[in-house]
Amino acid sequence: MKNSLTNSKKKKHYGNVKPKSYRAIYEEKFYDILFRLRYPLMTVIFFTTLGVLMLMIINNKSDGKSVLNFFFHTVITFSTVGYTEGYDTSPQHLMVNRFFTTLFIIVTIPLVYIYGLVTTVSIFMNSKIDEIYRYWRMYKAMEKLKNHYIICRFNGITKELMRNLKKRGIKFVLIEPDGSLEDEIKNFGVDFYVIDEPHKRSVLLGVGIESAKGIVSAFEENTQDLSVIVTARLIRPDKDEFMIFATATTEGAAEKMKLLGANEVIIPDISVGRRMTSFILHPPSPVLSGFLEKIAYGERTDIDIMEIRIDERSDLVGKKLKDIHMRQETGATVVAIVRKDGKMKIAPSGDTQIVEGDSLIVLGHPKALKRAEEFFKAHIKENEEVMQK
Amino acid sequence: MINWGKVWSDFFIFLALTSNVGFIFSHDPYQLVIAIGVNLLATVLKFGAKKILAAELLATALVADLHLIPATILYFMETHVPLAIGLAIGAAVANIISIVMLVIEIIFEYRKEEEI
Repeated sequence: MKNSLTNSKKKKHYGNVKPKSYRAIYEEKFYDILFRLRYPLMTVIFFTTLGVLMLMIINNKSDGKSVLNFFFHTVITFSTVGYTEGYDTSPQHLMVNRFFTTLFIIVTIPLVYIYGLVTTVSIFMNSKIDEIYRYWRMYKAMEKLKNHYIICRFNGITKELMRNLKKRGIKFVLIEPDGSLEDEIKNFGVDFYVIDEPHKRSVLLGVGIESAKGIVSAFEENTQDLSVIVTARLIRPDKDEFMIFATATTEGAAEKMKLLGANEVIIPDISVGRRMTSFILHPPSPVLSGFLEKIAYGERTDIDIMEIRIDERSDLVGKKLKDIHMRQETGATVVAIVRKDGKMKIAPSGDTQIVEGDSLIVLGHPKALKRAEEFFKAHIKENEEVMQK
Repeated sequence: MINWGKVWSDFFIFLALTSNVGFIFSHDPYQLVIAIGVNLLATVLKFGAKKILAAELLATALVADLHLIPATILYFMETHVPLAIGLAIGAAVANIISIVMLVIEIIFEYRKEEEI
C-alpha cells in the first residue's frame, strides 16, 4: 500500500522525461577505454599463444618446464628484451628455432610491441582514468543525496551562498551551464557539480530534484531564472515541500517569478540599498550594527532565529508562555508572537496566552532551536494518534 | 546482409567452447594452450560491448579464464592433473552459459528490429 503510494507520487511530475544519469556517462567513458584496448590486447594474446604453440611443435616438447621456457622466450622476444634463448639449443633444433624466432621478431615487433603494448600504454596515459574515476565517485555520491539544495549558476552570489551552506553542513549541487568555469568551480571546492543547462528537465531530475529541498536560481538574466523556476515548479508543484528562491533585476520580473512558483525572489540592488539604509539609521556599533540582519541572513553561526507555527491540534493552545517552560527545557527564547491577524507582539511577557493560529518567533543557539522545534512537535498529540491509526 | 563484426566476435566465443571441450577429452597440452589463448581472446573481445547482456557475457568469460589459468598452471606443473581437467570442465560450463546468453541476446535484437 505504502509502496504504491510512493510510486504514484514519484510519477506525478509531468511528461515522460528520464533523469540524466551523470554516473552512467562516466561509466560509459570507462567502457570506452576498455573498448579501445580490445584490438591491441588481442594481438598480444594471439601472438603469445601462437609463439608458444609453434615453439612446442618445433621442439616437439610439451612438458611443463619447456612450455614455461617457450612462454618466457615468446614474451622476451616481442617485448624486445631478449635476455636469452628460451628454447632447446641442441644442434638439431637450434637452426629451426632461430629461423622461426627471426620471422617471429619481424612480425611481432611492429604488431605486438608497437601496436599492442605501446598503444595499450598510450591509451591508459591519455584517457585520464583518474579523472573519470573522480567524476564517477562524485556522481555516485550525488545520487544518494537527500534534502539537498540545487544551486544554478556559479557567480558571486552563489559563491557566498555556498560558503555559508558549507559552514552549516548543508549539502548542495551546483549546476553551471558555462563549461569554461569548471576549473574555478573545482578550485572553489564544490563537492557536487554538473556542467549542464539547468532549465532541462532531465538535468534537474538527474541532480535529484525529486528528493531535494529547494533550488536557488541566481542567473544574471531574468529569462534564464524564469525558465528554471517554471521547470522546477512543474516537477515539484508543492510550494511548502519544495522551495524555489531566485534573483531578479527588476521588480516586475520578481513579481512574475513569484506568480510562476518562486517562494522568494531577491532583487540584489534593492537588498543592498536597504542594507545601506539600515547602516544610516542605526549608527555603526561593533555589536549592534545590523545585529538582527546578520541573524536573519545567517551570518552568525552561534545564534539563529526561527518561526514556529502553533498547530491547531497542539495542546499548548490556551496556555500561558510561562507555563509551558519552553526556555527551561530547550534554551530558546520567544522574542515575538505573530497573531493570526498579522499583529506582532514584541517581547511578550510570561502571562501572554498562546492562541490558535499563532506563530512564535524564537531566538537562540541553532541547537536550542532544534530542541524547540521538537518541543512543539511533541505537543501535537492528536496528530500522532492519527498517524498510528 | 551478414554482420561481419558479429561473425568475428561470435567465432571466438564458439571457438572458446569447442577448444575447451577438445582439451577435456584429449588431455593434450597443445589443445590446452590453444584453449587458454582463445578464451583470453574471447574475453578481450567482450570488452566495452554495449549490448543488453554485455556485463553477463563478460562475467562468464572472466569465470572461464579464472578456471583455465589455474588449470594450465596445475597441468604443466604435473600436480593435481585431475583437478586441472575438472577446472577445464568448469570453464566449459561457463562457456556454454555464455553461448546461451548470446542466443538470448540475438532473440532480443531480432525482436527489437521487428518493433522498428
